[in-house]
Amino acid sequence: MTSTALPLPRSAAQAIEAELDRLRAEIVADLGAPDAAHIRRMIRLARLSALAGRTLLMLGVDPLTWGVGVTALATAKILENMEIGHNVMHGQYDWMNDPVLCSQTYEWDNVCDGEQWRHSHNVVHHTHTNILGRDRDVGYGFLRVSDAQPWRPHHLFQPAASVLLALLFEWGVGLHDLELDEWLRGRRSSAEVGARLKPFLRKAARQVFKDYVLFPALALGNAPRVLAGNLAANLVRNLWAYVVIFCGHFPDGARTFTTEETREETRGDWYVRQILGSCNIEGGTVLHVLSGHLSHQIEHHLFPDLPAHRYPEIAPRVRALCARYGLPYNTGTLWGQFATVVRRLVRLALPVAPRPAFA
Amino acid sequence: MEVWRRAVAVGRRALASPWLRPLNDADALDDLLALANPLWSVRARRARVVRVIDETPDARTFVLRPNRRWGGFVAGQHVCVAIEIDGVRHERAYSLSSRPGEPTIAVTVKRQPGGRVSNFLHDAVRPGHVLALSRAAGRFVVPDPPPTRLLMLSAGSGITPVRSILRDLHARRRATDVVLVHSCRTPQDAIFRDELAALARAWPALRLEFVFTAEAGRLDRGRLARLVPDWAARTTFLCGPVAFMEMVREMWREAGAEGRLRSESFTGPAPAGNPAALATATVTCVRSGAVFAAAPNRPLLVEAERSGLRPRHGCRMGICHTCLCRKVSGTVENLVTGAVSSAPDTMIQLCICAARSDLTLAL
Repeated sequence: MTSTALPLPRSAAQAIEAELDRLRAEIVADLGAPDAAHIRRMIRLARLSALAGRTLLMLGVDPLTWGVGVTALATAKILENMEIGHNVMHGQYDWMNDPVLCSQTYEWDNVCDGEQWRHSHNVVHHTHTNILGRDRDVGYGFLRVSDAQPWRPHHLFQPAASVLLALLFEWGVGLHDLELDEWLRGRRSSAEVGARLKPFLRKAARQVFKDYVLFPALALGNAPRVLAGNLAANLVRNLWAYVVIFCGHFPDGARTFTTEETREETRGDWYVRQILGSCNIEGGTVLHVLSGHLSHQIEHHLFPDLPAHRYPEIAPRVRALCARYGLPYNTGTLWGQFATVVRRLVRLALPVAPRPAFA
Repeated sequence: MEVWRRAVAVGRRALASPWLRPLNDADALDDLLALANPLWSVRARRARVVRVIDETPDARTFVLRPNRRWGGFVAGQHVCVAIEIDGVRHERAYSLSSRPGEPTIAVTVKRQPGGRVSNFLHDAVRPGHVLALSRAAGRFVVPDPPPTRLLMLSAGSGITPVRSILRDLHARRRATDVVLVHSCRTPQDAIFRDELAALARAWPALRLEFVFTAEAGRLDRGRLARLVPDWAARTTFLCGPVAFMEMVREMWREAGAEGRLRSESFTGPAPAGNPAALATATVTCVRSGAVFAAAPNRPLLVEAERSGLRPRHGCRMGICHTCLCRKVSGTVENLVTGAVSSAPDTMIQLCICAARSDLTLAL
């Protein structure tokens, strides 16, 4: 683990800023028909996969078609949430000027309301990445994921809470923008939480209705099979999303920041913070696509609005830049990274002495 | 009948309910239908190019066969054509030049120097291509029954809706007394010249006056008054470039005849602002009706806020896209990348874009 002192020398931060801005400009200038074709191919793949999955669940009678149906539907949901929804809502395809792919109106197949996601994720998390007390994705308000977070007794339960969160991940994501933890601490009024509760409940009700009422009802006698299948598909998507997303900022080596450190931040410093706070996962094309290219979390945090399927192409250049400026480039295999996350969740459940800012 | 209509409306609303998603996801259905036939759609108006006709060296007519979602049009109306160039969707309005009631429709497009869409249509669109259309719109239409004396005044490609109107009046035997005065540079530039001449021969109620500015100079008031002495008494339809329309409008205004003048504003691509000319611009907001001044070095978000507006926004550094706003017209520069955008109807990020010309925003 490299301990990079911040701030970097001014000249280094400026050079990094110029270099990354150039890299970004180069990709933006190159955006075109192949990028449009990629996202439309993904959308079509997700739709056909959902169609196949739902058809198999509805019409089949045997366990084999049930298993294949669940896999197809889970794949569709994973693709839609991660490679399509997450990326489109980031504005990665706004340059296409296509109303279907507009970041501000897209709504995804998830109990989390799109508008609330855009706020909690695009604005809060991506602007204030890994700043303690400002980025609510650091432990989501109830987990201790960094030594810099003070220990509280409820952290003793966090291994169990993490398992529960993994199983119900879309609900965790959906509730995230309600900031219930802030309300419990008396820092949010009930009126504020109530106002945010409404869109969440509306969206969640539609999602529950779709998967657990509408499609089972359409299957008539096969209703229990469809209901179980939809539940299983949502569960698989939840577990996968949890693993990928926990590998983004919680593995060993990911650094957290204090508000003080980032007060005078320039655009270059912001870039450096994104690099130091994010972790990649190594793997092939299938892993990259199924993770919505969050396997390139570092590149995603540098350029959250560049089409994600471009990240593998720019990753070697980002990595070379990190090597040149002595910045760590945190990467590893999926299970290697995830193992450090699990270890950390268990270790930090106990009141170990806080270490200085970087863990 | 009323009950039935109401039942249909309720049924339609129910079918579009978000509770039925994804079963009623029109985008998904259209995507799957398009796999079978690119014209099939439950919602989108699309048309296949069946013929491309060279009218003049720089004007082409695209004859289109629309799908069943196309709801028809009235002569004189326009349609927005959407095409994708290098992954980017562009939309432009073109007058329909064909006659209503025919199985095919047509738009006639003149190449605009530097115009992205008109040049793409000319260079890349061939029979077989499928274009996306909006519904027909516009109030540049002749009332029914038509006035007894009509004057059509057009210049350049402003002839396109006029052709539709004249052919429609003739086909419906609405013979009144029609004069067409058309101005263009040379006889070779006159779109539909032979066809209109043939129409005038078959239809004595129509009189044609072509003015070729390369030979005879610009069409001015005196000349117009000589060609059509009773101009002020005629219901007039005007379509052409901005300067031409301004001249005519003023002439009619002074004669107190503007009540008899209808016009279709017809402009080429919005004049691109000069990024070097860093002047304070005027920004007009079409939703709120607000107007504010924008300095060339400050983001539009900041300028809007200084004027008391509160646009949606997030990061204020260009990463979250919350402040995304449709630019109806004008030129902006992205202060982070230096990219300049002049195309109409383009989504821009207010927090990192500054005005490089007067702007109209959907704010």
